[in-house]
Amino acid sequence: AAEFNWRFANLYSRGTAFGEVYQGMADNIEKMSGGRIAVKMMYADEGVSTNGIFGAVKSGLITMGAPFQPMHAGEMPAGIVEVGLPGGTADVGELMDLFYEKGFGDILDEAYASYGIQNLEPYIQPPVYIITKKPINSIEDFKGLKIRAPGAYGKFLRNLGASPVNLTWGEIYTALSTGVIDGSIGSNLIDHRDGNHVEVAKYMYRLPLAGAQVLPVIVNQKAWDQLPEDLQAVVRAATAVHAQDQLTKSRAWEAQAVSDMQAKGMEWSPEPSAADREAWKTAGAGLWDEYSKEGPFSARLIDVLKQDAN
Amino acid sequence: MLAILFRAYCLSVQFIVRFVGRSVSYLVPLLAFVVAFEVFSRYVLNRPTIWAYDLSLFIFAYIAALGGAFAQQKQAHINVDILYLKVSARTRRLFNLLTYALAIYFMLVLIDISVDKLLEALKYNYRRQSEWAPHMHHFWIMMISAGGLMAAQLLAQWLEDIYALISGRELFAERESNNDEY
Amino acid sequence: MMSIEMLTAVLLVCLLVAFAFGAPVGLGLGGIAMAVGYLTWGEGIFNIIPSTIDSTYFSFILLAIPLYIYMGQLLTRSGIGDAMFNASQLIIGRVRGSLAISVIGVCSMIGAMVGIIGAGIMTSGSIALKPMLERGYDRRLALGVIMAGGGLGILIPPSVPMIMFASATQNSVGRMFIAALVPAAISIVCLALYVIISCRLNPERAPLGTGDEMKMTPKQKVLTLRDGLFSVLLIFAVLGSIISGIATPTESGAIGVIGAIILAILFKRFKLSMFRHAGFETAILISVAMWIIFGATLFSNFHLLMGVQDMVASFTQDLGLPPLGVIIMMQLIMILLGFIIDEFIIVLMCAPLFTPIAVSLGYDPIWFGILMILNIEIAVQTPPYGFALFYLKGIAPPGVTMSDIYRSVLPFIGIKLAVLILCMLVPELVLWLPNKIMG
Ligand code: NA
Ligand code: NA
Repeated sequence: AAEFNWRFANLYSRGTAFGEVYQGMADNIEKMSGGRIAVKMMYADEGVSTNGIFGAVKSGLITMGAPFQPMHAGEMPAGIVEVGLPGGTADVGELMDLFYEKGFGDILDEAYASYGIQNLEPYIQPPVYIITKKPINSIEDFKGLKIRAPGAYGKFLRNLGASPVNLTWGEIYTALSTGVIDGSIGSNLIDHRDGNHVEVAKYMYRLPLAGAQVLPVIVNQKAWDQLPEDLQAVVRAATAVHAQDQLTKSRAWEAQAVSDMQAKGMEWSPEPSAADREAWKTAGAGLWDEYSKEGPFSARLIDVLKQDAN
Repeated sequence: MLAILFRAYCLSVQFIVRFVGRSVSYLVPLLAFVVAFEVFSRYVLNRPTIWAYDLSLFIFAYIAALGGAFAQQKQAHINVDILYLKVSARTRRLFNLLTYALAIYFMLVLIDISVDKLLEALKYNYRRQSEWAPHMHHFWIMMISAGGLMAAQLLAQWLEDIYALISGRELFAERESNNDEY
Repeated sequence: MMSIEMLTAVLLVCLLVAFAFGAPVGLGLGGIAMAVGYLTWGEGIFNIIPSTIDSTYFSFILLAIPLYIYMGQLLTRSGIGDAMFNASQLIIGRVRGSLAISVIGVCSMIGAMVGIIGAGIMTSGSIALKPMLERGYDRRLALGVIMAGGGLGILIPPSVPMIMFASATQNSVGRMFIAALVPAAISIVCLALYVIISCRLNPERAPLGTGDEMKMTPKQKVLTLRDGLFSVLLIFAVLGSIISGIATPTESGAIGVIGAIILAILFKRFKLSMFRHAGFETAILISVAMWIIFGATLFSNFHLLMGVQDMVASFTQDLGLPPLGVIIMMQLIMILLGFIIDEFIIVLMCAPLFTPIAVSLGYDPIWFGILMILNIEIAVQTPPYGFALFYLKGIAPPGVTMSDIYRSVLPFIGIKLAVLILCMLVPELVLWLPNKIMG
């Protein structure tokens, strides 16, 4: 039997393509450790709700987790800066630079450590997009639209004149179809396809809300400290492979999701004007000062962003 | 002497549990009003609120959790009474001793974890993840109270049963009717 | 470390013992999970509580339960709900069993409003149980009708489990919703036929001429018809608020509450004491339902953390059965799972596990999804453990025992099973309408 028995909770359901990628990381850890670490996969809501992953890793109920930080904005505000505030860059090179050269990574390691959590190699997932029932030809068209967008995404849309609505995931489809809301964000384009949103709203706005999303892989600190150094290196290596895997596969799947949705009638909005792009950026920058106040780690991360912008 | 102590405990628990149970029932219309207001604000004023979503969930949780002990007092919680109704009153009391002990254990675990979460919430200033971001600490205080009330109520009933089993007499000469609504 | 098969057996035995000893369901399930968890996992398992609280006490979908129960309580306590049935009896009272048929009609409309089982059954029960019992209807018939009708909430769109299924298997929600219509209609017709035939054969189950409407003066009759008409209109208004995009299915319950209060005031039936009693009764029902949901979710979360899903997955992989045999086996597994887990978890676990297998055998995923929904309706009401059974007991008057409830559901489970088998054998019943409408 294995020396270490881990449980790993991720955000995706059994049988989904993303679920397989996390399963791949779990298998890699087992293989690369020569079977000394066994990893049991817990798919979305199988024992731990997706918005309980952070707390479950912190308490040690789950050894390892791949949480979606906006769900934990109330527990760890810095995570919302980590994932990427609305208006942030889509350039993977720039993000890597931010994390590995400009100090984002170190600040986040420290932030996670303060919760008793070891932060491992982050990975990038495709950006957040907005789907609407009516076409958006210019940014003005967002005014007055009721769009399901939680937390920071909601604040961003409010800056554009839209009205953010809180709605539970299970009701998005019905709410779009009856017109309770005029649009909704999805955690990415794949999410929009899986939620069948195109059946009831077919216009996708071209500019992503946050350029790319950076998500963490986290491990309970006590469990991490129990690992001998060689196994720690193995786990780190597996998360690095995983990050690469996510990057290549998620792009292919995003493209697939777009073509699936286009086959069902999805239409991209026309190319936004320069003024629209500027307004988009301004709406995002307006959030920096606000999020700076959320805590010391948020403030330090935003400082890096500000220096980077200059 | 012991009987007097038991009686005093049971009566005071009953009083507090009833008071809390009745108080939370006033939150029910408030809950409906908050949800209805959100619909009004969104549909008529075209201005969805940022607070109704979390507030309605909080009110719902408060009613549901805090009302539990009162439901126990009124014997409203569901049980599978197939065997339970067939056995003698004495056996039924024995069953109660076991099942209430299990339930009290569950409540103690719930309280223990809720205390941890309360301390954590205070230390890290935990909030809900929404834009409104209301605090979480009061929720855990509520959960501790709900678990505490439930445990106290279960213990009161447990004492009644064990007293009757040992002494052969009822702790309360006349069982209070469970159908008094107001 | 105990194997998952062994652990499942231990949990089941504990559950049956606790039930036999008359433990409160929610507290018992939570207690068992925490006790067995402590012995097999250690103290760390207690940390499952916060995440479980998050998925139960902070579930917006479940908010439909308090709102709809409250609407039902207000309608009943103001007498408007009764007026609806009195009015129906004024019109069709001479037909034996007609009240039960009106109840099925009202339940179908409630089913069209709510998307989850709990809200369907507890609302239908609040409004329709009393009128049937007061008129001397057979208790089992009355309970069974509520259970069967309230369960329609997930079969008649909108339906949360259907949305979950469609998303987990990447199928069209719209197609699912439309595909459910014919099976829902068949279910409603079968239920009504059962009531008519059963009342023909046993006239004492549905006495005639025992209602208030028999003693009414002409003026009272007019008032009753008016109140009845308005309460039906209220139901249409709530439905309308969903269809026209004013409110989500969950929120529509609040529209219903406001509507019920306005109706009560308009018809001078609003009394502060009535208002207080309705809130009071609702609070108790909410607590009862939520402590069950909390304890049961804790129980299934623990079971899931220990890997029950892997057990189900490996079991379905090496069946070695002919295609229809595989489908039937999956139905059996889901009914068995209904023994220990709720509607959402069944979909969560079985949709991604089973659907690809069904599709690889050449079956239509939408058809399979509808079978799953029909199956869940049965699974949650098969004794001894079923959420629908507990909800019904919660809403039933004192004196109704669990055996009453168990016995009352049996013929209706038979009917639903027949509908399930019919849809299994004749897939066109499910697929014809969506193919016709959506191509
Ligand atoms: Na429905
Ligand atoms: Na069952």
